[in-house]
Amino acid sequence: MKSPWGDGEERKKELNEEIASHLQMAARDREARGESATHARAAAQRELGNAGVIQDVTHDQWAWTWLEDLLQDLRYAARTLRKNPGFTMVAVLTLGIGANTAIFSLVNGVLLRPLPYAQPDRLVGATQYYPKGPLVVMRQQSRTMELVGISDNKEFNLTGSGDPVRLIGNSVAADFFSMLGAQPAMGRTFHDGEDQPDKDRAVILSHALWEHRFNADPNIVGKWITLEGEGREIVGVMPADFRFPSPKTELWVPLHLDPRNTGDYWGDSYMALIGRLRPGATLEQARAELKTMRPLVLAAYAWRMPDNSFADSSIVSLEEAIVGDARGKLLILLGAVSFLLLIACANVANLLLARATTREKEVAVRVALGASRWRILRQLITESVLLSLLGGALGLGVAVGGLSILKATLPPDTPRLVDVALDGQVLGFTALLAILTGVIFGLVPALGASKVDMTATLKSGGQRSATTGNHRASNMLVVGEVAVSMILVIAAGLLVKSLWILSSTSPGFRPERVVTARITPNESFCEVSGRCLAFYNELLERARALPGVRDVAAVNGLPLGGGAEIFPIVVEAKPTPEGAHLPMFWEKIITPDYLSIMNIPLLRGRGFSDADAAPEAQAVVIVSKSTAEHFWPGKDAVGEHIRAKWEPNGWRTVVGVVGDVREYNIRSDSASWIDGVMYAPYGPHAIRGSGADAPPAQMTLVIETAGEQVQIASELKNTVASVNHDVPVSQISPLKSWVAEAMAEPRSTSALFAVFAALALLLGAVGIYGVISYSVAQRTREIGIRMALGARRQEVLLLVVGQGAKLALAGVGIGIVGGLMLTRLMSGLLYGVHATDPVTYGEVAILLMLVALAACFIPARRAMRVDPMVALRYE
Amino acid sequence: MKQRYQNRIELLQGTLDLLILQTLRWGAQHGYGIALAIRANSGDILQVDTGSLYPALHRLERQKRIAAEWKVSENNQRVRVYRLSPAGKKKLASERSRWAQISQAIGGILGPAGEESEA
Repeated sequence: MKSPWGDGEERKKELNEEIASHLQMAARDREARGESATHARAAAQRELGNAGVIQDVTHDQWAWTWLEDLLQDLRYAARTLRKNPGFTMVAVLTLGIGANTAIFSLVNGVLLRPLPYAQPDRLVGATQYYPKGPLVVMRQQSRTMELVGISDNKEFNLTGSGDPVRLIGNSVAADFFSMLGAQPAMGRTFHDGEDQPDKDRAVILSHALWEHRFNADPNIVGKWITLEGEGREIVGVMPADFRFPSPKTELWVPLHLDPRNTGDYWGDSYMALIGRLRPGATLEQARAELKTMRPLVLAAYAWRMPDNSFADSSIVSLEEAIVGDARGKLLILLGAVSFLLLIACANVANLLLARATTREKEVAVRVALGASRWRILRQLITESVLLSLLGGALGLGVAVGGLSILKATLPPDTPRLVDVALDGQVLGFTALLAILTGVIFGLVPALGASKVDMTATLKSGGQRSATTGNHRASNMLVVGEVAVSMILVIAAGLLVKSLWILSSTSPGFRPERVVTARITPNESFCEVSGRCLAFYNELLERARALPGVRDVAAVNGLPLGGGAEIFPIVVEAKPTPEGAHLPMFWEKIITPDYLSIMNIPLLRGRGFSDADAAPEAQAVVIVSKSTAEHFWPGKDAVGEHIRAKWEPNGWRTVVGVVGDVREYNIRSDSASWIDGVMYAPYGPHAIRGSGADAPPAQMTLVIETAGEQVQIASELKNTVASVNHDVPVSQISPLKSWVAEAMAEPRSTSALFAVFAALALLLGAVGIYGVISYSVAQRTREIGIRMALGARRQEVLLLVVGQGAKLALAGVGIGIVGGLMLTRLMSGLLYGVHATDPVTYGEVAILLMLVALAACFIPARRAMRVDPMVALRYE
Repeated sequence: MKQRYQNRIELLQGTLDLLILQTLRWGAQHGYGIALAIRANSGDILQVDTGSLYPALHRLERQKRIAAEWKVSENNQRVRVYRLSPAGKKKLASERSRWAQISQAIGGILGPAGEESEA
């Protein structure tokens, strides 16, 4: 017992010295009386008695009054916060349950919660996009579904009220809102037939747009606004919680279903189909019907469509259609976080096992008094459930914090992210999880404890009877814990390595010292021949003259998914058989300096010059390296010819080959359904996917600056306004941040896994530390005997560390096997590293062993310092 | 084991305190010196058990009846030396009178020494 005055250790030392001096004086007196030195010392020692016990009893004299007791209690409580297993258990559970609650609310919000529309289980979606024509055919034919079309997010210029602004909206079928069962907050939704040409001058605003842009004007309905240069009447405002298809949507306009515009109607404007199952119809019937409708759709075309067009499309629930790829990632996260909880459970179970040993006697007494095994089991499990409920309650706090971090970390385009919240369902989940957790981690120790051999325990004084069984159980728990940690750390290691490879792989262009800006005149602006070309020529000219600007070029869309023209192509040297799909190309429409500003290397032939944009010039294109290799293998692509499918005489000559660029996303140059990438000069020869004659109106400027820190935003805006004050400028940002944004998705996944892995490592280390400490405490006597018999400290150290190392090694081994089996599930998230990458496995194994050894080292040092005398005396 | 020692202290408590305080009346002394003095002054009859002496010393110290300080002995050894405090002097006085009462009372019960052997 320590004195409460904070100098307990000091006093102990002094007491030790005082008694030593007593001994010395006694021995000296004996010597003075003529005894031999050794004899004198031995006799003095004998006379004194047990110095250790004397010291203890003397020391106790300092701790007997109530004030001291109180202070002692306080000190003890403070120490308990650090040392007490109860505290550790609750902390571990808080972490485990908190992390699970946070991830579960994510999964619940994104995957599980029904869509906020009438009868959400009846809503479906097609897995492929369709043009307008097939939509009209199918919605006339379908007996199982009420089908509507909805375009991807489109940008609209809002002009006429202050500065021009870009708004995000979707074109939707007239019955889109009624199909979803959504009611407007003000005004009305679209009437039937309002998606027909000349009747489609309506627009519906989102609540946020109405509030922020139109100052929540209560008389907004019936007013007219100018979108993309066209007047539209505001017919309604949706409520704040209507966010379909995405929270970014600010307005909805009707689809423009005009069969006279053949290219747009049948070929270009692909959109998502969603629908509602008609009463009595099933998902299977809808799927079957989609198959039977396909020939009708193909027959409706004025030309022969490829035989396998729309063949892969199917009908799935709308939730599945919306969530798409995010599902796999979320499930992997959920798996990872439940592994974390498993580790936490193993930790707590171990702490309970250690405690169970000390409670054996209590249990034995209860059994002796007639308690049944079931009764004991129930009591012990009740205790552990209580513990985990406490952990769960505190874990909710962790979850609230974790969830806000999660929402900030995940890419904002994660579907349904705004719907994610801690709601009643999540609370229910947490409560259930806490109870389940309590039962799981409580069961093993409780079973062990309730099996107590009554007589043996009571006889032995309750010190070490059933401990061998418990030892085995706790060793197994630690091995399992290390194995699961190993799997999590391997997963994190693979993801972090992927991220590292991704970020160190060149995207095919150099993003440094380039600023980009989106220039968005209305599409109609370019319908006057030559107007757009003149506008951009003048804009580039003036922008080049800005201070700090070295060069400027324009492109129809940035790499990494910034967009491109898409159309089927005919390759002269490689004709496509009748009825097969023509190769689809992406076309980047650029001004001549684009390639040099972006540092995209010219591998063969020449780049573009201003002369290529002249109407009388020969039409030329440049292709990417892999496109050249794919279509003209072993040959020089320069001098070959391609054309757009619908231009029988529109052959273009390939004049150059440039390096591959990550056009699609940070992982891949092009989408799986794209066969080639080409570049065309901005001007009359650019091919438009819509079949339009004019070059695209909306372009992105790429501006090479003299330094990294050049601020040109306001000058650029002024410049654009000086050329044409109706043209909006938006998204002025460094190209580097565009690249960083493209990395956001892999980065967030890696970051989450890294956090899980760090927690797993921590919990694993705590687990090993706990078991080894406990075993050292149990083996104090044995260690004392070993040392009394001459074992050196290093040997004791090795003994203890070796015990931990053995457990860790077993865990690492099992973890490697588990990793090999489980990490392949996440191979879709990896880049440049195989799910069974031996280097990563090796590194993680070494890391884990180091952490395990460090965790053993603390108790091992304690064992090393065991004083054999004290150890033996204390038994 | 610890328990046994404690019981012995209880038994001697009071008496041993009195002896220590009385011994310290002649001047500051260390634990070993106190033990020697008690033994010598009792004509080698009272052997003070070290296991009782030090707890008693520290208890008295905590009760502020004696004060302790480290000194270097004539043998050049660091020793902890105890000294009677004013409170200790008062305590000694009251303990002495209490002891006198008790021994008188016990003496009364036991009667004159001669009667017992005759009975």
